[in-house]
Amino acid sequence: MALDIEKLLEKYYDGETSLEEERALKQFFQGGQVPEHLQSHAAQFGYFANARKEQPSLSFNHELALMLDPPRQGPVRRLGTWLLRIAAGLALLIIGFGAGWLFQSKSEKGAALAALSGEKTGEIAEMKKVLAFEQMNNTSASERIQAVNHSYEIPDADRDITQLLINTLNFDPNVNVRLAACQALAHFAGEAEVKEALIQSLAIQTDPNIQISLIEALVAIKEKRAVDQFQQLARNQEVLDVVRLKATEGLNRLNADV
Amino acid sequence: MSLNMDLQAFNKRILPVQGRLFRLAQMFLRNREEAEDAIQDVFLRLWTNRQQLESYQSVEALAVQMTKNLCLDRLKSHHKQKTSHETDMIALQAADVSPYRQVENSDSAGLMHRLIGELPEQQKLVLHLRDVEEYTLEEIEEVTGLSNANIRTILSRARQKLRENYLKAENYGTGY
Repeated sequence: MALDIEKLLEKYYDGETSLEEERALKQFFQGGQVPEHLQSHAAQFGYFANARKEQPSLSFNHELALMLDPPRQGPVRRLGTWLLRIAAGLALLIIGFGAGWLFQSKSEKGAALAALSGEKTGEIAEMKKVLAFEQMNNTSASERIQAVNHSYEIPDADRDITQLLINTLNFDPNVNVRLAACQALAHFAGEAEVKEALIQSLAIQTDPNIQISLIEALVAIKEKRAVDQFQQLARNQEVLDVVRLKATEGLNRLNADV
Repeated sequence: MSLNMDLQAFNKRILPVQGRLFRLAQMFLRNREEAEDAIQDVFLRLWTNRQQLESYQSVEALAVQMTKNLCLDRLKSHHKQKTSHETDMIALQAADVSPYRQVENSDSAGLMHRLIGELPEQQKLVLHLRDVEEYTLEEIEEVTGLSNANIRTILSRARQKLRENYLKAENYGTGY
């Protein structure tokens, strides 16, 4: 054995040993049975074997991971957030479409305005459903406003529709819906019953906005029969000053038109 | 996403070599922290040039070459610093050495480390790659560009020189 080792050592110092032979040497010199005369070689082989076990510290690995991460945060992260942004945008779009679709189908089912493409009777039926008095607690104000505004799109409105709008004007709990109905009715002010309804409504409306809208609508169609209502308003101390002024102004204009 | 894949592929190819690069740097620089710092630099350079890595036959050989060059550069600049602030550097290095290191430096492993460090550049590189890292001659060829026969000669010289210096140091120490 010792002889073999000596031969190997000779080969080793000549640079002629194979990796296997060198491993055998390392093993031999790390074992406890190294003869005295070969002891001086042990340090070298022991050193090689131990040096091979050296590793960077754990904190280094951590630092390296951190160091390689920022580049990832640079180009890669940016791409990530790009993708994320696009994805978020798409998600929002999809949610938007989905919500719109849901809303539409729900309001169709729950009887709303939607029937844009439907035939006239269908449209009116939809409108009626939304504006129906008993529905008022089930529909939102904006739904009803939409339904009211929808009346503009009906080319030849009939009595049903104007009656519906008149009812809305007089009885809708929401002032904005009533205002919308008032404005819608101004479009149909040519109809006799609409004129009548506008005059009557003026007597019962208490909201200044609607009162002013009604006065304007009646002045616009030069409705002389409104004069009495205007005079009452102008004298009524409970009515806002602006409304009284508006009524007086309307009175003057209607009288001037004689 | 492809860059993410990049990092994974990069880690897969490079990280297994980390220990080797570290030991090589430690052999050259003879300081743990500096060695870690140096190979961190190597990794960063490899990472920034990762697109070109595909064209290299052996990324490991490239990384070893880079580590060697970087360490030699650092030693050169250190040397310049040393000549101007020699006393400072010595004081700093002494403060750097942990008690554990001091003990280790006094034993034969520390002596070996120092003696290998004192070998000529090429000799210590070839000796390290072969005797510590157990590279085949072909792998050493790839890193150094030296011929097979040349490597054997250098290896033989390095081994003999190391032994010679070791015996000298030991004899000197024990008063032979």
